[in-house]
Amino acid sequence: MNPAQTLPVVVTAVEQVTPLIKHFTLASLGGEPLPAFSGGSHIIVVMHAQARTHRNPYSLLGSPRCLDTYEIAVRRMEQSRGGSHYLHDEIEVGSRLDIAHPVNLFGLDKIARKHLLIAGGVGITPILAQLEDLHDGPIPYELHYAVRSPQHAAFAQRLRDRAGERLTMYHDSAGQRLDLGRLLSNQPLGTHVYACGPAGLIDAVVGTARNLGWPDSHIHWERFAAPPVGEAFEAYLARSQLSVRIPPDRSLMESIEAAGVEVPYLCRGGVCGFCQTRVLELDGELLHNDHFLSDADKARAASIMLCVSRARCKRLVLDL
Amino acid sequence: MPGVKSKPVYAPLEADRGGRYHLLLGMGEGGACLLRVLHQLQTFSPASWQNTQVLFASATKDNPFDDLGLQSVALFDDGAALLERARAILERSLMGTRLYIAGPESFIGRVLQLAATFNLNKDEVRTEHVGSAARRVHCVHCRASTEDVRTNIVRCSGCSRWLQVRDHYSRRLAAYMGVIVDAEAPGELPPIMEIHS
Repeated sequence: MNPAQTLPVVVTAVEQVTPLIKHFTLASLGGEPLPAFSGGSHIIVVMHAQARTHRNPYSLLGSPRCLDTYEIAVRRMEQSRGGSHYLHDEIEVGSRLDIAHPVNLFGLDKIARKHLLIAGGVGITPILAQLEDLHDGPIPYELHYAVRSPQHAAFAQRLRDRAGERLTMYHDSAGQRLDLGRLLSNQPLGTHVYACGPAGLIDAVVGTARNLGWPDSHIHWERFAAPPVGEAFEAYLARSQLSVRIPPDRSLMESIEAAGVEVPYLCRGGVCGFCQTRVLELDGELLHNDHFLSDADKARAASIMLCVSRARCKRLVLDL
Repeated sequence: MPGVKSKPVYAPLEADRGGRYHLLLGMGEGGACLLRVLHQLQTFSPASWQNTQVLFASATKDNPFDDLGLQSVALFDDGAALLERARAILERSLMGTRLYIAGPESFIGRVLQLAATFNLNKDEVRTEHVGSAARRVHCVHCRASTEDVRTNIVRCSGCSRWLQVRDHYSRRLAAYMGVIVDAEAPGELPPIMEIHS
């Protein structure tokens, strides 16, 4: 199966769940079941807006046991390149969208002895689906969910119903802080920690865990990057013998696709590593924006993630 | 044994600065390896030293760790008693723990087997093999284990079949696979040689 292959869906419900987050329910056009997935999976939503086509990753938050619908939650981004605004402003019940098949880059460790789930804001979405996988299971878990204030706490009731006393909520407005040092210093052997949310939260979880001796094999996190706006440059695709202009507000991947060259991808958010491409020539510097390459690899500048990274240069030659 | 992917790989033990708690488990000649780790841990923070525990099994009753002034050293006559204590310690251990295992291969295998039940991964456990290379053999026919095998062919302690001791190692069972060697011509055995000593 080509994971980039899309299927058409229709929006069956839209709900504003917080001042910034809208909750969309999607179903297949003919009502047949959607492809199976596991907790932590995301889909790519393809949006054919007037000016351009957006392809953004969103985590599936519904139950993996219910394939009649998919559910996603979209935060309206202040500095959006248009994708989240399009979903918020243009999409209503009955609208049609294309989606790519689910892919899981944030699955639960199957042999963990305990799961420690930590979410901030809209980062709760993949964890909602993971809770469905954990529900009724024998493995103990805790969920820690930090939000700005009660009105920003998306899906709080659903979480309470599911997790009960295993849920602890932190309202920033009430001065409630998640004490990561205390939490992570007191976990039994075989615990796995999962973090999803703003960059600051993820950095704090990963950094605190490592300082407390947690090995990397027990630390999991997911954060999709959005392609940043930058300066225009030219990309030359050596194997296709094609020159592509990359405008300031389009990513390498989007521009290359628009030029008719297919690029492999799973996440379009700098996480999966599928679109890693060799750099053959460069007369400037790479601006890496992904979470896949190591710092050493980024410094070597031998390859680039087309989905979220770009270059400050005149001409970038790619092995594509 | 090149080409046998399942065969465990060992390396000289080194203390892990990233760890917060250190549990050292050794048997026999493994004591010297643990001493080396302890000397490194002594140079780390006082907290790491306080969070260090040693479990050591030896037939000779000597305590190679006497001079270190370490609070928590437990000595055992055999591996089974040591493993029982190790299980009790792991039950209440926290994330941030590192295991250091040194001794004969079957001892390492049994500790690793225990560590796996606590979901300890490769980045939390270090192993150094010293002393006997005698193998623990799992009979694929009756599933009995035969301990301390030094020969290429051994009689199964469970079903008395003659088994060829293979290089195929199971981490789950902490043993090498033993497969009947004279199935086609019962009683006709290749020469038996001591090769794992």
